[in-house]
Amino acid sequence: MSLPAYVARRILALVPIALGVSILVFLLIHLIPGDPARTILGNKATPEKIALLHHEWGLDRSLPVQYAKFMERLVHGDLGTSLFYNVGAGGLVIDKLPVTLFLITFGGLLALVIAIPLAALAAVRRDRASDHVIRAVPLVGLGFPPFWVGIVLLLVFALHLGRLFPVGGYGEGFPEHARSLFLPALTVALSIAPILIRSLRAALLEVLESDYITTARAKGLTERRVLLRHGLRNAIISTVAVLGVNIAFLVGNTVIVEQVFDLPGLGQLMINSIFQRDFTVVQAVTLAFAVLVVLVYLLTDVVHALLDPRVRF
Amino acid sequence: MSPTSLRGLLALSVVALAVAVSACGSSKNGSGADDASTAHKRGGSLTIARIEDSQSFDKTNVFQNESIWLLEQIHESLYTVDKDGKTLKPWLALSYAKSSDGLTYTFKLRPGVKFSDGKPMTSADVKFSIDDARKQAKGWGYLDAAIKSISAPDPETVVFNLKYRWAPFLADIALFSNGIIPENFGGESRKQFYEHPVGTGPFMWDKREVGKSVTFKRNPNYWQKGKPYLDSVTWTFVSEDNTRELQLRGNQIQVDEFPPFNAIKKLQNTPDVKMALFPSTRTDYLEMNESYKPLADVHVRRAISYAIDRQAIVKSVLFGNGQAANSFLPPQVPFYAKDSPGIQYDIAKAKAELAQSAYPKGFKVEMLVGSGAQTENQIGQIMQQALKPLGIQITFRQEDTSTEFSDIQARKYALGFCYWTMDIADPDELVTFAIDSKAGGAESFYTGYENPDVVALSHKAQHDEDIDSRAQLYKQIQDMTAQDAFLGYLYYSPFRYAYRDNVKGFFVYPLGNYHLEDVSLG
Repeated sequence: MSLPAYVARRILALVPIALGVSILVFLLIHLIPGDPARTILGNKATPEKIALLHHEWGLDRSLPVQYAKFMERLVHGDLGTSLFYNVGAGGLVIDKLPVTLFLITFGGLLALVIAIPLAALAAVRRDRASDHVIRAVPLVGLGFPPFWVGIVLLLVFALHLGRLFPVGGYGEGFPEHARSLFLPALTVALSIAPILIRSLRAALLEVLESDYITTARAKGLTERRVLLRHGLRNAIISTVAVLGVNIAFLVGNTVIVEQVFDLPGLGQLMINSIFQRDFTVVQAVTLAFAVLVVLVYLLTDVVHALLDPRVRF
Repeated sequence: MSPTSLRGLLALSVVALAVAVSACGSSKNGSGADDASTAHKRGGSLTIARIEDSQSFDKTNVFQNESIWLLEQIHESLYTVDKDGKTLKPWLALSYAKSSDGLTYTFKLRPGVKFSDGKPMTSADVKFSIDDARKQAKGWGYLDAAIKSISAPDPETVVFNLKYRWAPFLADIALFSNGIIPENFGGESRKQFYEHPVGTGPFMWDKREVGKSVTFKRNPNYWQKGKPYLDSVTWTFVSEDNTRELQLRGNQIQVDEFPPFNAIKKLQNTPDVKMALFPSTRTDYLEMNESYKPLADVHVRRAISYAIDRQAIVKSVLFGNGQAANSFLPPQVPFYAKDSPGIQYDIAKAKAELAQSAYPKGFKVEMLVGSGAQTENQIGQIMQQALKPLGIQITFRQEDTSTEFSDIQARKYALGFCYWTMDIADPDELVTFAIDSKAGGAESFYTGYENPDVVALSHKAQHDEDIDSRAQLYKQIQDMTAQDAFLGYLYYSPFRYAYRDNVKGFFVYPLGNYHLEDVSLG
């Protein structure tokens, strides 16, 4: 199968996945106790006021009817109206999506920037002190929750070392966004880098022992050229796959990181909507996350195929 | 490549990236506290960070404080509450006259008041605003139920005709939902109007990013000459306590709303930061659901209430920043009875009460607590220890706060927690809610408590306009309800605000509102 046909098939597969996720989320959010009307009315809630709001939102209908309405709107591209904010849920998701996308991309790139040189160093200096340090220290780091890492980074780089970065927030315009997102992206990167370092080091070691590397060395290529041109290029294929597989983990981490760094992204929207029992927004965000994860998996496969011509579909 | 140069490459790449990104936009901020000057400097922008986002700006249908305190910068009422939380003073009105039968109130409006769009405010706007507010069935309309009709005989006069004598009338008129808006929503639909409301207040609508921030800017037509001092105010939504505190220290925000109790001491010792505790009307209660059989026994409820060591709770849970409660009314509300003894900590009396009850050996009871709510969990544990010797065994059920709140309201609990903050400078709203199971609409604060004598007293107080006899009635209500122990009165706690010390004139009223026209950045 050709690459475009493969991509088309995978995108089509999104439809049943999204459908499945939507049913699951719809049921889950309605099964947990808690009532958006009570959230909004606070302790001024009376049975009459609650009933009025439920009727306005259609929550007084049966679950299947509610789901049918939800699907009917979805088919027309309408994700419904936020119960809490009374604005379009789709619009909210679109507003917040760029922040999360930026954070994940930035975090992923930073993870590679950290992992590749460290893994290369560890592989080259196999079993020596620096190798052990590179393998051990990040592993310990993996044990620190991103929540804590984020606060420490803020304390150090946003307060004590001369305010290099803002204390959370997203800023205005692309340069400010990038500056605001550096520490959160670093937090995300630090959480995933240890896994990348270990897999890339292992892959590099395997590659560096293969015959074509010996051949390259025998041809008199410099060690730098051997490592960068022939070693890394082949070893990195597996790392891309590892990064792709861990993307769900990365997305999960952004939820926490967005809270700590006061980033108005999808993760924050998700958490707050759950607390507010804003059913429509929870559904919309979950759908967005599901589509995002599936698309990232797809992207990983495509990149994998481009890097490794042996991959066929 | 030698290992050393590889290491160099690594260090270089990370540092270069950090520097490049940090250099990208290092303008703004930084120069917050420049030259100190006299009393009130004009200009500047204030940022207030809060734990919750604003929900809605429809003043007539919103119940969330984080929306109300903002929209009060845009909408003003005929009368307003003074700094003590009890006195009402003229605001958009100059004065009022009451007919001898108490059924007609005639207000003279303040001349020269304009809306932020430049149009003058007239009696027609007042009539429209309050007629619209009292129509709102799922909003605050119920507090205007005493009004029969409103007329506007001339542009500066508004007349209210009441159905019956109504003592809390002036306090109700001062409620934010009775704030004045342009007649017919200035030609827009109701929904459109409240997406960017217009009022007579010191600030006017600028922009809102849902889930992130709300910004208001100076109203150039404001009736108080020279005010407001600030060019704009932005409220951001920062759910993490730690992040808000760091942002305050970095002067990225100027006001940190509600830092947790355990951060108060630290913030008091933070340079360039003021930690303020404003007397509030917030009262915290232990809820006792009478549909759980042992709790329907008044002796059991008294026993539990006697066993609450309020001083210990204030000391260990609030870090000393609070006051033991003796009444279900807070000290900042009119007719609060300071000398009403309430029920205070006394284990001997607790034992004696339990012995008189139908459960002298005690019983098992479940306490509903919020899973993230530290104060509730701590109070729960203090009570668990205190009640153990009496044979009352508390088990805990943890729920996330929305579930907890829904379960309390639906009365699916035995013991639980709840609190109240006042909206008006009159006890009637809270008294009706707390003890009038029918008219209050909440089955007496979700407890199922019924005492017809107390209800009769409260109805009498609603229609009695003599201050002294009204005070007497509310004193009786407070004494009787304390003995009925329908709620465990826990404590009164202040509103907590940490702010940069160049913020001048910031004062939070007992109802939680603040007048930002008085605030400047020094």
